[in-house]
Amino acid sequence: MSGYLVSTLGVLAALAVAFVAGAVAMWASGYNPLASYSAMLVTPFTDYVYLLSALAFSAPIVLTGLTFAVGLRAGLFNIGAEGQVYIGALGAVVASYIFKDFMALPIAFVLGVGLAVAWSLAPAVLKTSRGVNEVISTIMMNWIAYWLAIMAVSTVFANPLQPEESVKTPEQARLTPLLPGTDFTLAVPISYLFVLLVYMFITRSVWGFRLSISGRSPIVAKSYGISPERSILLAFIVGAVAAGTAGVLQVVARPPSYSLMRNLANVYGLGFDGITAAMLGRGHPVGVLLAGVFLGVLQEGARHMQIQAGTPFEFVRVIQGVIILLLAVQLFRR
Amino acid sequence: MTDIIVLLLLQALFASVPILLASIGEILTERSGVVNIGLEGIMLLGALAAPLFVDFLHSRTSLPDWAWPLIGLLAAVAVGALVGAVHAYVATYLAGDQIISGVAINLFGAGAVAYGIQAYWGVAGYKQVPEWAKAEPWTLVLFALLTASFMWYVLKKSRLGIVIRACGEDPEAAYNMGIDVNKVRFYATVAGSSLTALAGAYLSLAYLSVVTKELSAGRGFIALANVVFSNWNPLLAVVGAYLFGFFDALSYWLQTLGVARYEVTRMIPYIATLLIVAGVVGRAKPPRALGKAFRRE
Repeated sequence: MSGYLVSTLGVLAALAVAFVAGAVAMWASGYNPLASYSAMLVTPFTDYVYLLSALAFSAPIVLTGLTFAVGLRAGLFNIGAEGQVYIGALGAVVASYIFKDFMALPIAFVLGVGLAVAWSLAPAVLKTSRGVNEVISTIMMNWIAYWLAIMAVSTVFANPLQPEESVKTPEQARLTPLLPGTDFTLAVPISYLFVLLVYMFITRSVWGFRLSISGRSPIVAKSYGISPERSILLAFIVGAVAAGTAGVLQVVARPPSYSLMRNLANVYGLGFDGITAAMLGRGHPVGVLLAGVFLGVLQEGARHMQIQAGTPFEFVRVIQGVIILLLAVQLFRR
Repeated sequence: MTDIIVLLLLQALFASVPILLASIGEILTERSGVVNIGLEGIMLLGALAAPLFVDFLHSRTSLPDWAWPLIGLLAAVAVGALVGAVHAYVATYLAGDQIISGVAINLFGAGAVAYGIQAYWGVAGYKQVPEWAKAEPWTLVLFALLTASFMWYVLKKSRLGIVIRACGEDPEAAYNMGIDVNKVRFYATVAGSSLTALAGAYLSLAYLSVVTKELSAGRGFIALANVVFSNWNPLLAVVGAYLFGFFDALSYWLQTLGVARYEVTRMIPYIATLLIVAGVVGRAKPPRALGKAFRRE
């Protein structure tokens, strides 16, 4: 238990330093750090609508965090969640284009997750068969997915009524807010349920055990008759299921648009937020959940910060970079 | 027809410069035993720093016209050195995780550029570079080619090169020869990062004349791929960078010809990179101590 305590203290220390560094940067660029931080960190807790919105923001981040965390277990730096989210969202858009009734919902999940898994197989197979570094291959796949999704949304799946977005999910197929007037949809419980599933997979299943062994030492794994290649493949697939689900949910369960933005604004950057979540959560599913909720609060807070203090929304990413840099020093030093 | 082909080959040369500069930088860094996957973020920071600093200075002092592009490029180099020093410090003296540090730099770079454009110019994500700040692309083409030759000479033919490579291949032996391994790695990383930031400044000041939060468009990672392709040889990196630059130029060329929608042609460089890396990776031989921190008990 003391191990958890030490690592929690380490994470908290990194957060504190990052926020102080952020304050200096804000001050230097002419914004008020106190007003910004109070809008960012306090306002989300002043109204249940804001708080539920923060949870809605956390849902896809938790999922992409799981993608990266499962990859880490298998010794991979799978930064392909970003592109797999695009592809998952695209799958949901395709389903909404074909079906105009409730059927769009199940088909969205099948298509979105299926396509995301297929997308992840390219870097997975390149890794196992050719030894191609997954950092390079997944980034390339992200960019290909980026242009593919933009093309699809601007052409076949464009919304004739609203040029800035794709066709919308049919009304019967939408996962609407559980509490009217908030952004809190089934996306949140579904994402959190994934945490439990991944936790069970990693700690209780033989596959998860094999995956962890392969990640720790491929040589040891081999000597026990475990195939590291199969573990890598599995880690990519499980990760893609999570990321693909995040993409689908951003389309079918995200008010008010229920569509994919033409500039991908409602899916852009989610994969990279997931990396932060996985790092902050130290690669543990429950840690990813806590970190995801924290990042969700930051996202919601950043909106208020931009309105109340005028500080640009993007400031959150600057802070995330600093946090991870600090964690790089302490993390995984065994 | 020949005119168009010559134009394409020329465009490929211009497109190859940022990839080449970043590749040379990363080859130097990796030869010393440090891996820096933060190239993308550093490139972005360089691309922002150059026009931002020049703009800042221009409104406060007056200097001869030729000085502005130079100041911009130097500002980028300084920012690159600073970020490189942070990564180098984490990678050497703190023995931190080099991949994670690189990921952090990429996130930080993407965030800082989006934030910086908004905070300094008050526009969302897009800023044109003024005419007086633009640098001549040809000078940087020449600089990149000369640097590649120079780096090849240093790494392969000079005593310093032996020292650097020893740190990347067998730091224990290097240490026993009286070499301060971490110091060598530190400066190799700082220099590599500076070259990468210069690549970013080339993008914003000379090549694209604009700053956006997606300006680098994966070029940092394409440079990483080129390092593998070139087998950590700066001269082969010239060939590789030209090849990758060719596909970059080809995508714009096909777009101009109206062969396909621009979304389709923009995929070409990334698909080509994947295929090229898949084709050569088996032959590549990375420095043996790459990415491993060196600590003396």
